[in-house]
Order: sequence, then C-alpha cells, then structure tokens
Amino acid sequence: MIIETVDLTKKYGNKIACDRINLDVEEGQVYGFLGRNGAGKSTCIKMLTGLVFPTSGSGTILGKPLGDVSARERMGYLPELFRYQEWMTGLDLLNFHAQLIKLKNKNDQIKRVLKLVGLEGQEKFKVGSYSKGMQQRIGLACSLLPNPQLLFLDEPTSALDPIGRKDVRDIIVALRNEGTTVFLNSHLLSEVEAVCDNVTFIHKGKVVKSAPMKDLLMDKITLTIFAKEISNELFAKLKNQYPSFQELSDGSWSLTIKSYDEIPMISQNLISGGAALYELTPHRETLESVFLNIVGDSKNEESGFVHQREGFPS
Amino acid sequence: MVNYFPNSSITHGMTEDQFRLFAIQMVSKMGFQFSAMLIALLTIMLGSGTISTEMETGLIQGVLSRPIRRYEYVLGKFFGLVLIACAYATILFVLILVIGAVFGLSTFTSLNFSQIFMGWILYLLLPIAILCLTVFGSVSMKAVPNGILMIFIYILGNVGGMVEMIGQFLNRNSIIGTGIFISLISPFQTIYNTMERVIVPNSQIAGNVMSGASMSGSGEPASVWMFVYIGLYMVGFLFLAIHRFSKKDIS
Repeated sequence: MIIETVDLTKKYGNKIACDRINLDVEEGQVYGFLGRNGAGKSTCIKMLTGLVFPTSGSGTILGKPLGDVSARERMGYLPELFRYQEWMTGLDLLNFHAQLIKLKNKNDQIKRVLKLVGLEGQEKFKVGSYSKGMQQRIGLACSLLPNPQLLFLDEPTSALDPIGRKDVRDIIVALRNEGTTVFLNSHLLSEVEAVCDNVTFIHKGKVVKSAPMKDLLMDKITLTIFAKEISNELFAKLKNQYPSFQELSDGSWSLTIKSYDEIPMISQNLISGGAALYELTPHRETLESVFLNIVGDSKNEESGFVHQREGFPS
Repeated sequence: MVNYFPNSSITHGMTEDQFRLFAIQMVSKMGFQFSAMLIALLTIMLGSGTISTEMETGLIQGVLSRPIRRYEYVLGKFFGLVLIACAYATILFVLILVIGAVFGLSTFTSLNFSQIFMGWILYLLLPIAILCLTVFGSVSMKAVPNGILMIFIYILGNVGGMVEMIGQFLNRNSIIGTGIFISLISPFQTIYNTMERVIVPNSQIAGNVMSGASMSGSGEPASVWMFVYIGLYMVGFLFLAIHRFSKKDIS
C-alpha cells in the first residue's frame, strides 16, 4: 500500500475534524476522496502530507511514517488554497521548488512540467500577474516537479475553465498510466467519476463508504417506466423477477437491472401483459446520486433517478 | 548656539574647543542612536510576519510539503532576515562613519580598526537579537500583534536603562534592580549602550545630556555575564521558535 492509515484522528479542542480514518490506497491508481465542505477531507490530506499532526492513530506514506521528510521527496502536493510567491516569475517559482526538492535535472524537469500544464511561454511573467487558472496550473506544475510517485491534489480544478479541467483530467489519466498514484479531492463529481479507480466518502470526519468506482456505478442501472394499465398479475410477475419494481410518486414505475440486455425482455413482458407503454428510460447511476445517497440529505436520495415527465397521462 | 542643546547649563562656561568636542560627541551619539532605532524598527517590520503571514496566506503549505524539516524552515527564514538586517545595518554604520570622516569629526577620525570592528559587531548584534525574539513572536501570533508587542518590548528596554540610571542617581537599589530586571526582558538597549561606549568613548558629558533628553539610559557598563545572558536569550528564543513551530499544525 502506498498510503495506509490506522484510526487516524485529528481533534481541535472538542471538535473532531477526522475520526478514526482508515485508508488503504494501492499504488498506481487514482483515488477519490469525497465529502461535503467541512467533512474533514483537507485536514486528512494535511495529516498525510505532514502539515498537520494527528491527535491519535498512525499511518504510512510511501512506506514511511506520516511526517517523514524523506517520503516527501517522492511526493507532490497541490494545496486547496494555492498561494505562491507573487513577486516571483513562474520560472523563478519552479526553480525555487526544484531547489527545495534538490532536483538534479531541473531545467529539463521545469520544461517538462511547463509543457504538461500548458504554461509554455508564460513562465517569464510574474506569478502575481497570472490569472487564477494560471496560478492553479503553475501550482500543479510545482507539484509535478519531482516526478512524484504519489500526488495529492486538493481541488485541482477549482479555478479552471472547462478546457483547463479537461487538461487536468488528461494529466491525471496520463500520470496513472505512468504508474503514479493520485490522491484526488474534488467537489466536481463528474471529474472524479471520469478518472478515479477507487473512492472513499467521508462525512462528519468519518469514512462512511469506500469502494471501487465500478462497484459503485457499473453494477446498477435504474429503469424508469412510464406505463399505464399494469394489471395486478403483471405487477406480481415483474415484482417476482425484479424485487426492486415499484411505483413512484409521479405515477411512473422503477426497477433496478444489472444489464442493458434485460431491457428488451422487460418491454416485451409489459406489452404482452397488456400495459400501455409510453416510455422506458435506463439511468446508469451517477457518482452524484451515490454521493447524495451517502452523505446528502435523505430527501435527495432519489435525485438523479426520478424525472417528472410532461404529458404523461395521470 | 548653546541654547539649541537640551540642557544649556551643561555647556555653560565651556571653552570653544571644549564645546566643539561636546558638539561632535552629541552628533556622533545621535547619529548612532537614531540609526539603531531605525534598524530596530525595520527589523521588527521585517520579522513580525515572516512566518505568521505565510501561514495565514497558505503560502507555507507549498513549501513545507517539500522534503525540508521545520527547523530548516525557521532557520532559513531567520538567517535570511539576519542577512537583510545586517546588510542594512552595515550600510548605515558605514555611512555614519563616512559622514563623520568627511566632516572631520574627531570622534570618528580618532577611531582605530579594533574599535570600528567591535562597534560594528555590536551594532549588528542589535537587529540579530531583536530578530530572535521577533521570529519567536511570528511563530506564536499574527503579524500586527507581534509587531506591536516587539516595539513595546524594544521601547521597554530604553525605559529599563533610564530606570537603572535614575536608581543610580538616587542611590536606590530597588530602582536599580527594577531597571536591571527590565533590561533582562529587553536587553537591546544594553547592546546599544555597549556599542556606544566602544565607538564614542570618553563622552560622559554628552551621554548625560542624551539621557536628560530621554533618549537612553547610560548606567554602568554591561558585564560579561550580561552578554552571556544576551547570548542565551537569543539562542533560547530561537530554540523556542523552532520547538513551537515543530509542533504547530499548518491548517
């Protein structure tokens, strides 16, 4: 495991920021770390990067205990509130960080990361004159400078436009393909969904779910059916085949299937059973709906599945 | 012309040569005194937010996530500021000497190398000692409260010298003790006074006038033990800054 924590806890006075966090992150994957604002994500990342000291518990990073300086030689970190020396040029900043890391081939590495984050030709301008998006890019460049084995990205696209976000997604995927482990904290769930292999949800300082992304999303398709004249006999038959079959508050029906291949059979059953079928829509579960189910309010639990259909006869 | 001086009774009855010597000593002492005060305030301004501001802005997170130890960060900041403050102090020190030499002030033209060197070292010791305390303050509190507290402590040192002098004048040990106690809290004036004794010697009359003008105390010369204490004071506060910062959460 590249990251391993055992009952990692951080308290600020009586307030518990992180409560017995247990993480096991394998090497070479993109690991999503999700939760609401104030859930304890950034505190946890800061404990992992050695900026915050745990109140109790333990952990290892790259095989070294938390806070070990030598582990940071192979680690990159883009903080959530990225701020850099505004009086420096982009090039000065990268040179400064290269010196902190004691990078040997710093000129080549600086050229590489500048190209990677799309700041080639901008490096001679002062960081203070950069837009917020450019500052985030130069921050990302700094974090990539040591060619890290483990990269912590805390909200890496918060200041970027859609093209910038796609660029970062591509960088993350490319890093994973090169064997880098990326620990990603982001509120942009579509982004996490697109790149993460495993996801951990944290709520009120506690880990509430940890699972591979495919287990969270791929094995579940919700089918929304707009149909009338479903007889008791047909209902019983479908309920027997699909225990999740139920009528929703807007008059539609829903059931959960495991594969799209089941859809023709269901429609055939409905028609042969005498139902008037108006619409049959499959919804693959999104990370947003999973997120809302896990850490959101109960009233949002069905968000993403139920859509009021205009013109459907009542 | 005599009336321009704070206490004209002191210069009363002087010959022209005596008055010239007195005036030269006054100008020399004031030059060093004001420049030392300027350096002290500049050092406090430089150091009061050196760590706390980076913590507040989040700038520190990018640096401390690199393979550097907390003590390296504090010492890096400290020595960086020492270099700036010492460079500035050296420029001022040299300028005062050059101006004195250009105008042929005997206080400067009569100085030998050893006096200049010793005076320069003591002149540099002042901002370094202030920095030790200020860096500790920067680890412990925000820039503005730290700056205000450091200025207060610095001025307290001046008051300590005056209290000690008043005690000697009144021959009251309790007042002398209070002055010494204040000097232990804020030993910066002691450093300055010693520097002044080295670089502007034999200036007893001018010294008394300056004290009368509330610029400084001019009690007895500081003992070697006082400088041992100052050394411990500096190392102690730097150590405390490192110790405190090493246990601090960067949140």
